[in-house]
Amino acid sequence: MAMSFEWPLQPNVDTRQKQLAAWCSLVLSFCRLHKQSSMTVMEAQESPLFNNVKLQRKLPVESIQIVLEELRKKGNLEWLDKSKSSFLIMWRRPEEWGKLIYQWVSRSGQNNSVFTLYELTNGEDTEDEEFHGLDEATLLRALQALQQEHKAEIITVSDGRGVKFF
Amino acid sequence: MHRRGVGAGAIAKKKLAEMSKQLDMFKTNLEEFASKHKQEIRKNPEFRVQFQDMCATIGVDPLASGKGFWSEMLGVGDFYYELGVQIIEVCLALKHRNGGLITLEELHQQVLKGRGKFAQDVSQDDLIRAIKKLKALGTGFGIIPVGGTYLIQSVPAELNMDHTVVLQLAEKNGYVTVSEIKASLKWETERARQVLEHLLKEGLAWLDLQAPGEAHYWLPALFTDLYSQEITAEEAREALP
Repeated sequence: MAMSFEWPLQPNVDTRQKQLAAWCSLVLSFCRLHKQSSMTVMEAQESPLFNNVKLQRKLPVESIQIVLEELRKKGNLEWLDKSKSSFLIMWRRPEEWGKLIYQWVSRSGQNNSVFTLYELTNGEDTEDEEFHGLDEATLLRALQALQQEHKAEIITVSDGRGVKFF
Repeated sequence: MHRRGVGAGAIAKKKLAEMSKQLDMFKTNLEEFASKHKQEIRKNPEFRVQFQDMCATIGVDPLASGKGFWSEMLGVGDFYYELGVQIIEVCLALKHRNGGLITLEELHQQVLKGRGKFAQDVSQDDLIRAIKKLKALGTGFGIIPVGGTYLIQSVPAELNMDHTVVLQLAEKNGYVTVSEIKASLKWETERARQVLEHLLKEGLAWLDLQAPGEAHYWLPALFTDLYSQEITAEEAREALP
């Protein structure tokens, strides 16, 4: 049924840019909605994200890889292994999460406080914050971004990891 | 000696004088009419159509120039000028999505949306007139008849008769194929292919190689109701490297 592809994506360069932008937006919305922070490429291929059964259209794996690479360039995706079979997907970039977290810390006057990672994302105090419920992998990267800016330091606490804010 | 006075020349002169007087009277009446109904013109789309038709009958174009009697007395020029600006804004905002081609219906919807609840009503006839003015100003606007309506072209893509007739064919389903073109228009394969290639090149068509049977060429400009999730111009701009 499917013809052989000469072009994985739209042949017109400008149209391809629009297409890529639309796919990137869709991937991030999808993952945000389904609270999916990581995926394998195989999963992605079969998920309703890239395989629309109703429309009978699938994005070929070569195109999927181009979309994923685009997301990586924008800072929304990180490969979790060398063979690029699974990835972390962050609908907000780590720097953006870092900023939100730091704003909350400052606003609540908690600079120089120490938190466990769990407290930050699952504590009562952060229930109303956007980063409440954030997955650990993304949280770590957000804190690493803050660490780069000397606004935080990731430390070891009694049963895991924590962070001190400056 | 020849008798002068009554002859073809004199009759023509007399007729001319009469007509001139009539035209003057007509113009004065029209001016009076216009000043009485200035408000009406701004508020009522139907009234505007009738007024324009009336002007056309006597060979007057109320939109002919920015200065002068018509625009000053009536603000007709202002109305269409402002509308022209709104039309350009809508086309620019949606260009990323449809390549600079939009149906008159969608343009109408978007213009009304932009004008808000308390703004004056605007008809499709108003839009066409405003666009004709924009066209005359050399802004790259074009009007393409398709099906029972019009496609408005806001980006000066080069579209000849072949291209527009294929656009008209695509209006039914939002897409068109080589087979359909050959069957409906009785063209050779090569001619059909060239037109489709051109539409792809102009960014007006998207290629679908997974469609059953043969490649489908989709025209986003014709999609209006088929979007379930939109990417806004803002998001598109942010997403581009």
